[in-house]
Amino acid sequence: MFSIRLGLRNLTRQKRRNIATIFIIAFAFFVYLFVESMMDGLTNMSFDNIRNFETGDIQIAHPDYWEEREEMPLENLIHWNNELEETIRQTQGVTGVSPELQFFANLNNGIDEMGVIGMGIVPEDYNQVFETQAYFTEGSMSALSENKAVIGDRLAKLMDLKMHDYIILLVRTQEDTFNTIDVEIGGIIRTLNPLVNSGTVLLSLESVQKALNTDHLVATVSIKASPGKEEKVLQTVNQNFQEENFSLKAYSWQESAQSLINYSKMEKQAVAAIMSIVLLIGMVGIINNIVLSSLERKSEIGMMKALGMREWEIVFVFMVEAIGIGLLGGLMGCLMGFIGVSWLVNQGISFVALYGEIAEWAQFGIPIMDKIYGVWNYATFGYIFFLGTLVAILSSIIPAYWAAKKDPVEAIYRR
Amino acid sequence: MPLLELKKVKKVYRQGKIEVPALRGVDMVVEEGEFTTIFGPSGSGKTTLLNMIGCLDTPTEGEIHLNGNRISDLSKKDLAMTRRHNIGFIFQSYNLIPVLTAFENVEFAIRLIGRLSEKEMREKVLEMLEEVGLKGKENRKPGELSGGEKQRVAIARALVKKSKIILADEPTANLDSETAQEVIKNMTKMNQELGTTFIFSTHDPQIMEYARRFINLKDGMISSDKRKD
Repeated sequence: MFSIRLGLRNLTRQKRRNIATIFIIAFAFFVYLFVESMMDGLTNMSFDNIRNFETGDIQIAHPDYWEEREEMPLENLIHWNNELEETIRQTQGVTGVSPELQFFANLNNGIDEMGVIGMGIVPEDYNQVFETQAYFTEGSMSALSENKAVIGDRLAKLMDLKMHDYIILLVRTQEDTFNTIDVEIGGIIRTLNPLVNSGTVLLSLESVQKALNTDHLVATVSIKASPGKEEKVLQTVNQNFQEENFSLKAYSWQESAQSLINYSKMEKQAVAAIMSIVLLIGMVGIINNIVLSSLERKSEIGMMKALGMREWEIVFVFMVEAIGIGLLGGLMGCLMGFIGVSWLVNQGISFVALYGEIAEWAQFGIPIMDKIYGVWNYATFGYIFFLGTLVAILSSIIPAYWAAKKDPVEAIYRR
Repeated sequence: MPLLELKKVKKVYRQGKIEVPALRGVDMVVEEGEFTTIFGPSGSGKTTLLNMIGCLDTPTEGEIHLNGNRISDLSKKDLAMTRRHNIGFIFQSYNLIPVLTAFENVEFAIRLIGRLSEKEMREKVLEMLEEVGLKGKENRKPGELSGGEKQRVAIARALVKKSKIILADEPTANLDSETAQEVIKNMTKMNQELGTTFIFSTHDPQIMEYARRFINLKDGMISSDKRKD
């Protein structure tokens, strides 16, 4: 107990140096907690935006189409009929079913032309699966029923288009001939997913099927499942397809968003790298502190030895001091992290504020609009605090032993 | 059986390839309760001799017996335990811990011994501080004490654990003559009242006068060993 008291009292010596070390450790902790919260927030928001605006919870496709889905071929499509629709809709846990026909098109505004992704949808069905309807800046989803098009606001801005303008979509039919869709803009959306806003044109499924000569065919069917039942629905739908000999397969949204999941793994590696740097900073700070302290207290170490203290007892005194610095730095870091993460969770951090105007357009391929909100990872606070303390203990052992091993005569007489 | 016995103790320091003899064969016997001074010019080996007796260093040759036990070839751990239980030190520069109060500096030594209850420890520390004339200054930190008071804390620290022998290396060198006399009187009082054996080195003839035995060290050897009648 006395050694603990002495170790803690020693914290009050070399106040400036100790405070500087504590602040450095605290700042490193804060950076880690803040970045981790932001990265997790970014991942969660990305996943939510993919599910809510691109894939739904589950996607059904022909396995051969799925392999080629990024090419959006008009082959291996699904024959959309009542029997198939009923099979899917009657699956327990399914709350929405949306047939879709995706295709590449060249959008022409009369002056410029650019490649876009066209999507034929049934508005009522689409609204059951996706949240797009809540993000109209002008017009509404009912425009599709009037054979009008809905486009993203970024696309509109880029192509200098506005409501009621006409656009021409140049498409390839299933027979590989060219056709055009001449359509009025009946709605502009600004969803939380910039990838949808910048390159997607929504049309009615019927008009698309007519233009592509793909009557009754769709490329994919998106499904919305009750929360928590996604896995069960996926299994049941696939089981039903097997039983009824449908040559179709249901895929989870994770399979659709594989590249984003890979990106999220990279994020985790980046966070782990930050963690290593944080711990290294703590380690260097503590080692530096103990080495300097032992040099300054050489004669004191000699006196301790003269009093009959054994090496491990002297090591313990230094370790208490190091742990004290680690704990104080960790506590302060967690407090700073708590404030930072609170702000991030409530206020969010703007992409534009971080990266300037370029972010407005680039968005780095991340399906998030404007602001990133952090998430609370309470376990991380405990984890980093525990790990920080452990590092403080471990990094103090060697310099403390180095201090305690000093020859008593040399230490007393500062030779 | 003498408290301390040195037989042909030699100490040679090596500085690279050069050997520097610090003690050239010291024979000495100290009985319990003696108040001995070791004097001699700088470099005569006073500090080395005290370090050998105090188990801070080991001789190159020869034997040292403390309380009948041969201590000259003990392991580091055993040397530490011998220092803890049998030897008290008083240093020229006090070597008090600045973040601890006078009470805690003394308490530090007695806590290492253990065995006593909290209450007993507290009583002993207070009693010892009172003995050295520091009653009322228990809660002062070394920075708030004068040089003489600091050295008295160091004396109390050395005495509180009832050491068999107290070794003091130039205990008054950093003090003015009046304070030095005060400190040496204090040591004499402790020697007389508690029967503790003191061996101290000094250059100061005024301080030397208080001793009852005088060992003159010259070039690492005892040149004279006299006792006061």
